[in-house]
Amino acid sequence: MSEQAHPARPGENSGSTDPGSKISVRGLKKSFGTNEVLKGIDVEVADGEVVCVIGPSGSGKSTFLRCLNKLEDITAGSVLVGGIDLTEPKVDLNKVRQQIGMVFQHFNLFPHMTVLENITLAPVELKKQTKEQARQSGMDLLKRVGLEEKADARPASLSGGQKQRVAIARALAMNPGIMLFDEATSALDPEMVGEVLQVIRDLAAVGMTMVVVTHEMGFAREVADRVIFMADGVICEQGSPEEIFSHAQQSRLQDFLAKVL
Amino acid sequence: MQRLPIARRTRPGGLAVAGALLTVLAMFFGVSGASAQVPSAPSNVEGKTFTIGTDTTFAPFEFRDSSGELVGIDMDIIRAVAKSQGFTVQIKSLGFAAALQALSSKQVDGVIAAMSITDERKKVYDFSDPYFDSGVQMAVAKDNTDIKGYADLKGKTVTAKTGSEGESFAQSIAGRYGFTVKPLDQSATMYELVKSGNAAAVFDDYPVLAYGVSQNNGLKTVTKKEAGGSYGFAVNKGQNAELMAAFNTGLAELKDNGQYQAILDKYLKSPQDTVSADSSFWALLVSSMPALLKGLQNTVVVTLISFAFAMLLGLFFGFLKVSHNIVSRGVATTFVNIFRGTPLLVQAFFFYFGLPQIIGQPVNIWVAGVLTLSLNSAAYVTEIVRGGIQSVDPGQLEASRSLGLGYGTSMRRVVVPQAFKIMTPALINQLVILLKDSSLLLAIGFAELLYQGQQIYSNNFRISETLLIVAAMYFIVIMILTKLSNIVDKRFNK
Ligand SMILES: Nc1ncnc2c1ncn2[C@@H]1O[C@H](COP(=O)(O)OP(=O)(O)OP(=O)(O)O)[C@@H](O)[C@H]1O
Ligand SMILES: [Mg+2]
Repeated sequence: MSEQAHPARPGENSGSTDPGSKISVRGLKKSFGTNEVLKGIDVEVADGEVVCVIGPSGSGKSTFLRCLNKLEDITAGSVLVGGIDLTEPKVDLNKVRQQIGMVFQHFNLFPHMTVLENITLAPVELKKQTKEQARQSGMDLLKRVGLEEKADARPASLSGGQKQRVAIARALAMNPGIMLFDEATSALDPEMVGEVLQVIRDLAAVGMTMVVVTHEMGFAREVADRVIFMADGVICEQGSPEEIFSHAQQSRLQDFLAKVL
Repeated sequence: MQRLPIARRTRPGGLAVAGALLTVLAMFFGVSGASAQVPSAPSNVEGKTFTIGTDTTFAPFEFRDSSGELVGIDMDIIRAVAKSQGFTVQIKSLGFAAALQALSSKQVDGVIAAMSITDERKKVYDFSDPYFDSGVQMAVAKDNTDIKGYADLKGKTVTAKTGSEGESFAQSIAGRYGFTVKPLDQSATMYELVKSGNAAAVFDDYPVLAYGVSQNNGLKTVTKKEAGGSYGFAVNKGQNAELMAAFNTGLAELKDNGQYQAILDKYLKSPQDTVSADSSFWALLVSSMPALLKGLQNTVVVTLISFAFAMLLGLFFGFLKVSHNIVSRGVATTFVNIFRGTPLLVQAFFFYFGLPQIIGQPVNIWVAGVLTLSLNSAAYVTEIVRGGIQSVDPGQLEASRSLGLGYGTSMRRVVVPQAFKIMTPALINQLVILLKDSSLLLAIGFAELLYQGQQIYSNNFRISETLLIVAAMYFIVIMILTKLSNIVDKRFNK
């Protein structure tokens, strides 16, 4: 998987779409009022590719990620997921979102439900599975993140690391082809970061397509097929972890790395 | 008696204002106030049923006895007339001004409410032959032996009701007999003033005084009554002629066969058994409980029904308020502004007296009561729901939507359950407010707890004790309701 062909750097191939792309972003712009946060993003993510997004605070990483499942309205440009253009007015967003799992910095678990109910809510409500099937596959997912004994616990009784592992299990419940992580470990105490990263690492190992916004440079270096450096609403530089971390071209990236490494 | 009984009989001003208000409201809703009325052909009244409006409490003409039954001179006369003329009456105890409004809006066919026949009223209503001759009389404290006539008032202070015939009569002779008049607004205060010796005498309506004396209110009369106005039964001008004819015939018959005098004697001469020898608090509690419990039942039922509707409406408008659609938000905001921005009493009057004019048919008092309370409360519930939903972390909705769940499902399964937990204390509070506000429905004659209490103390004059019992009953019910709500809250929001 590390031998993926990397799409060209921004601006170089604005024309054609790689048919193997799971995600294809072209000319993406996003403004909040008059504040233009994304200023034209072009990116292709191939099937099974792990893309890590790094960059300074406020550079638009979260906004970019949230445009990929249209949690944010898109101001201009297009976002294609599995060949479906999310900017089309007629597109069934709920269908598309079932294909994209998302993990949030602050977990966003449903506090009024047990851990297992958090996971089975979507499959049962969307009639993908019967209650019993959902329970079974929910337990399997919990086993996978090492929390089967917490099935009947409330989120409030879990540690931060456990919460985030449940959130990942929940995001996996609809069996998505893509996973989006927005600083999944930033709200965690340092001793819990490892357990969550291990779960993401495991997902990478089984070939899950992932876009991971992270501040964990070591992790990005280890897991990413490609690293994207965002600054000021544009992709400033991208490449293999080696290229980004050891042979940074631009001074902004060099400055950024000097601060975080 | 705390409804300014005399003022109402001499000054039709209140009615005119209420009528004008209704007209304005009707115009506001784009409907002409003058609804076409099919003139009823004068025919025999036998077998028919007429709805008669009356005051809530104006002893001895209309009031509730200790069993909660509406009795009094007016009630006995109209029932006796109905019996002799072979029709049936359905009595609506509404309040004086409310009864006249109901007559105008055709909620009732006629009004009998110790209403004096005046030229001004004759322009709007047709009156029967007078059935009672009123007049002003003087009363002094029961144990007072000094005052035997007006001449004994020299240098003393007397009291009378502000703006009443009693006051004008007292003023007219004050100079001649050398006393001063201190007008007061409340009958109860006037009587207290006399009993405590702060006023030597009170000038009030003869029937009111006579009844009070018969009820051992601590006063006695020592002079004859001064001749005054006469009371009549009223229908809308030019309508219900056959009912009016039957009333006059029936009244004449009652006078001939002695029934009429018997009715007057019953209330004005013989002491009532309601104020029995046992005047302890305990006896009052026992005798008033059946009527009060009936009122309490109505209070609780109207509160619960209204709260259920308020919740449904409040949820609906609350969702509109948090929606992204500007029209939906506007609709919800308008709803809230209307019902939060106008007094509950105006809403109650509108639904009970105004709405019938617009839709052209009577509105049941329960319907009017529930409409008033539920719409008013729904405005507040809407805001509670909006606040509750908005206080749920937006990340919850995002997490749910990111799973592919739709907006409706996400709200239902994720946001609303959490919002409810936040809203529960405010909703319980709203329920308590609703229950307390339901007492305002007494203004349209809805027989809830405070209304029943009023009926009782205007009959037995034991105002403070009766009100204490009523307050205690409200308090207990609200405590129980709060406790129950908290238990339910714990169950569902654990
Ligand atoms: N809902 C919003 N309304 C207005 N402005 C927003 C909104 N969300 C984000 N922004 C602005 O967009 C810019 C980019 O925000 P974004 O959260 O995407 O940055 P980020 O790269 O994820 O930063 P961080 O590393 O701190 O998470 C910021 O200036 C932020 O203030
Ligand atoms: Mg961010």
